[in-house]
Amino acid sequence: MNPHSPPPSGSHGNRTNYWLAGLTVGFLGVSALFLVNSRSHAAPTQKISPVDAKFLETTPWRQTYTDLVKAKEDLSDYDCYGCHEKNKPPPIRFDAKNKIIIPKEHQNIVMGHGSHDRNDLCYNCHNEQNLVTFQVRDGRELKFDNIPPLCGSCHGPTYRDWEAGAHGRTSGFWDRTKGEAQRLSCASCHNPHSPRIPPPPPARARPASAARSRRHAGPPRTGPLT
Amino acid sequence: MTLPTPPPDKTSDRAMSRRSFLRGSAAFGGLTALAASLSPLRELSDFTSTDQFLQKYYKELTPDDMTKVIKRIEGDVQRQYGIRPHVRDLRPMDGVEFVYCLNLTRCIGCRKCVHACVAENNQSRNPEIQYIRVLKLPHGSLDLEKADHHYAPESVPEKGFFYMPVQCQQCKNPPCVKVCPVNATWQESDGITVIDYDWCIGCRYCEAACPYFARRFNFAKPEIPKDKINPNMAYLGNRPRKMGVMEKCHFCIQRTRVGRYPACLEVCPVGARKFGNILDPESEVSYILREKRVFIQLKEEIGTSPRFFYYFDK
Repeated sequence: MNPHSPPPSGSHGNRTNYWLAGLTVGFLGVSALFLVNSRSHAAPTQKISPVDAKFLETTPWRQTYTDLVKAKEDLSDYDCYGCHEKNKPPPIRFDAKNKIIIPKEHQNIVMGHGSHDRNDLCYNCHNEQNLVTFQVRDGRELKFDNIPPLCGSCHGPTYRDWEAGAHGRTSGFWDRTKGEAQRLSCASCHNPHSPRIPPPPPARARPASAARSRRHAGPPRTGPLT
Repeated sequence: MTLPTPPPDKTSDRAMSRRSFLRGSAAFGGLTALAASLSPLRELSDFTSTDQFLQKYYKELTPDDMTKVIKRIEGDVQRQYGIRPHVRDLRPMDGVEFVYCLNLTRCIGCRKCVHACVAENNQSRNPEIQYIRVLKLPHGSLDLEKADHHYAPESVPEKGFFYMPVQCQQCKNPPCVKVCPVNATWQESDGITVIDYDWCIGCRYCEAACPYFARRFNFAKPEIPKDKINPNMAYLGNRPRKMGVMEKCHFCIQRTRVGRYPACLEVCPVGARKFGNILDPESEVSYILREKRVFIQLKEEIGTSPRFFYYFDK
């Protein structure tokens, strides 16, 4: 008890009570605010659309003769002597500019093996004596389902890499004691008539966070790797 | 005429001294505020159970403990995502050290690896967490200051540029492991630097220490659509994370430690990614390191000695 404190008068006591009431209300208000805050979650500032399923595909974009055989699909396209005559190699025709003329029956073929025209010649690979096989320059005759040695006869280093597993797609098991690795053959990725793989569209980048896009309004930032 | 002040009536309810009123209201207000400030703890039970809170350090867990932990995780995932996952604690294999090789001649920058990784490793979709960043760099230099990872052209590759995907380099000398104050991240004998998401305190020192910006932090509660959950999980690998922990590429532990290739490799449309056991002289990576122009480990000069090699074909 402070002996110097003045005796409480009516007005003084009232003021104290107002203060106390105000403080209590303030406390309650703050605690209510806490409660509301802890319940609410920051709303996601942006909607991120899932990436297109085609970007998650692990299958190659082409089917080879071997795939068709495995899938038991129609192989009549590969029956050359259904149309061609045996022992009569079909002639290759050229236009005035010395470019090969693709016959109407093979219109789906786009010739573009290399950036020059030198390879646009059917019998570099197809065997004119027996159209259902390929011929290698060294005289070997290869079946339709065995093309890597044919491609490798020109693309030696790539063939060597492919045999070692360093070229081309792989899937399955790296540990060959646990399971098999699936290797692809050349034509699963490269169209033999036009081997360059057409450039695909890229999948989207990571959407910039809302905070960052606020900070860097304008064109997307190109940032260093730091 | 002065009246003596009446003694305070202690038995009456109506008479309350200023002091006791002050005490009472302060105590009431204080308790309310305390309760309110603690109330976020109730939500913690969503993802931190008592079992998890009391769980021992990964390296001290006995096989019995591990079985319990895995049961707990499987239950948590089922409750949260409605899917019964298959969680395993996969240990490193003997005589195996993983190495990744990436062919910069082949990479076209299509970002398929980025999204295959997100799908395989149960990464948060919103906010989106990605382990792999594909840098677009101008031909003729390797100046990372000129790198762009927001490119969005009609088709890739663009003329005059090459692409360099960057993910965790699984360093032999990992700075992130050195800075971790609680040993929640460490290097295993097969070379993979792993994170125990139950031990991580979220201080983000490792993120700051990593010279490759390979580590990601869960700033928000990860959001994964229920139908997008990959149920093949590993404890140190792709089991769903919680808010406030670090994560990063772990070479798809749930696949590679059972002999499979990582997801980013299988999805690569050009075969630029190669992975395998460097201790096996017959493996693809051994062939590449022997025969190819393996010219960089990224930021070689800082001495982290990555197990991630970039090479050129021609």
